[in-house]
Amino acid sequence: MAPKPHRVLLDRVSGYADEAAAYMRRRRASRRPFARLYYPGGRAEDHATDSAVGGELFVAAGRLIEVAGKRPKS
Amino acid sequence: MSDAQASGAVSGEAAEAALAYLTEMSPDLRGAAILDSEGAVLAPADSSGHWAEGAATLFEAADRADGEAVEQVHIGTEQGEVFALRHAGLAAIAVTERFALASLTLFDLRALLRELAGETPLRTFTGPEDGKSPTRPADGEG
Repeated sequence: MAPKPHRVLLDRVSGYADEAAAYMRRRRASRRPFARLYYPGGRAEDHATDSAVGGELFVAAGRLIEVAGKRPKS
Repeated sequence: MSDAQASGAVSGEAAEAALAYLTEMSPDLRGAAILDSEGAVLAPADSSGHWAEGAATLFEAADRADGEAVEQVHIGTEQGEVFALRHAGLAAIAVTERFALASLTLFDLRALLRELAGETPLRTFTGPEDGKSPTRPADGEG
C-alpha cells in the first residue's frame, strides 16, 4: 500500500532538516577563528591567529565585541 | 572602494536612523557604529567613546598589516564576528553573532554608507515616526 501523500512530504522535509542540521554542526566544529582583510581592487589577505598582525586584529576585535555586548534576548 | 568623501556632512540624526534601520533588519547584529572620516562616532550617541577607540585600534592594526589602507575587515572569533567597512570617507563597524552571513552583512553596511554619503539621495533613511520602526521611503519618493 502506498504511503499517504502527506507522509512523503513530511519525510522529505525531515530529511532536508536533518541534512541542514548536520551541515551546521560540521560548520561549527570545523570553523576556526580567522582575520581577513580586503583591499581596494578585490585583494584579500588572511592573517593567522598566531601571527603578530593577527594577534593585534583579534585583540581589537575582542574589544569591539565587548563594547557591543550580548544581544538582548527578545 | 571609493576614496571620495561624503558629499556633505552626515548628521548624527541621519546616522542614528540608518543604524536603527540596520539593527531592525539584521537579526544577527549585536551592535554597530558609524564613524566619520576623523574617526568620530556619528551613531550610536551613547557609548560612542568605546566604539571610537575600538574602531581606531582595529583600523590601525588592519592598515599596518600590509602598509595599505584596508577597505573591509572581517574577523571571526569564538565570541562573535566583527565587520568593518570604509566607504566615501565614512566607516561602519558591526559586531554580529557567530556564523552571520558575511556577504549579506557587508552588503548591508556598504548600502548604509552609500546612502549616508549621499550617493543615492532618493533612498535616504527617515527617523522613526510615531515611535514605530525607522523606515525608508520607496523609490521615487521624497
